Amino acid sequence: MIQTLRKPDRIVQPCGFCGGCGHGVIQRLIAECLEELGISDRAINCVDIACCFWTLDGMDLDGIAGPHGRLPAVATGIKKTRPDDIVYIHAGDGASYTIGIAETVHICLRDVPVTMIVVNNGVFGMTGGQMSLGTTLLGQATTSTPRGRNESSNGSPGDFLQALSQFDFEFAARGALYSVKEINRTKQLIKKGFQNQMEKKGFSLIEVLSACPTNWHLSPVAANKRVEEVVAAQFPLRVYKDRGGMSDG
Amino acid sequence: MAGRKAYADVSLCKGCGLCVEACPVQAIVQTTQLNEKGYEVIQVDADKCIGCGSCYTTCPDYVYEVR
Repeated sequence: MIQTLRKPDRIVQPCGFCGGCGHGVIQRLIAECLEELGISDRAINCVDIACCFWTLDGMDLDGIAGPHGRLPAVATGIKKTRPDDIVYIHAGDGASYTIGIAETVHICLRDVPVTMIVVNNGVFGMTGGQMSLGTTLLGQATTSTPRGRNESSNGSPGDFLQALSQFDFEFAARGALYSVKEINRTKQLIKKGFQNQMEKKGFSLIEVLSACPTNWHLSPVAANKRVEEVVAAQFPLRVYKDRGGMSDG
Repeated sequence: MAGRKAYADVSLCKGCGLCVEACPVQAIVQTTQLNEKGYEVIQVDADKCIGCGSCYTTCPDYVYEVR
């Protein structure tokens, strides 16, 4: 089958992200999934205050930006009042696992049928690359830990996806973007998140390990290699939870 | 995938080089030529391209169309 590969129609502006940033790929995967499932017209994009904010302008979808880290609460409100719309959250790891962890826990507990995509790049990207308490790896140099994250003074990172997956909600999985194979796998996870919502199942949480070449001070290729060799070893790529029975990869 | 080729709109390119790394047949090369935004852009060798779409999949800036 010869198929033309072309940028989805719902992406209407050139990407505003830094060169090599994973957000651009995630934005495209979301738009492709919405297009393939035929739900672009009723999708509502809930974006957080961070790099993902660019997708509000970049995508021709209904969208809303809420206070930093509170998007699960905003999305819960939208989904409760407009249950037939497809509501998804596009947020970063700082918003979801640090400043907004309370909202993330609550949306898991409420099991609202919303799809949440968390972009985990291990730093506070838009504010200049400071340490993210939950996800910056030990030894990693950031703007606020220039000599590397130190366990005695900065504490240790944690696997929030694993911790959250003990709650009773629909789907939790982690993907990455460092190779064509992993990008395709991540797309399947995001698609599964949207399908769960179309079938009026519960809450779906998909974390995507992404590179931040600008704040890691690496070339995009070296940053992707770091995700593959270092970050994915700390945060395993697999399906953590699926009530519908997707195999535990 | 016979006959399918990758076409690049280099005005969108930011020269990140992810496609150069992803291309299985080394059909994409990084050049020192600048686009209007000032990024060093890539170039596709159509003779080598097998139309697999790896560049489209990896590119974060939607430079490629594979047809």
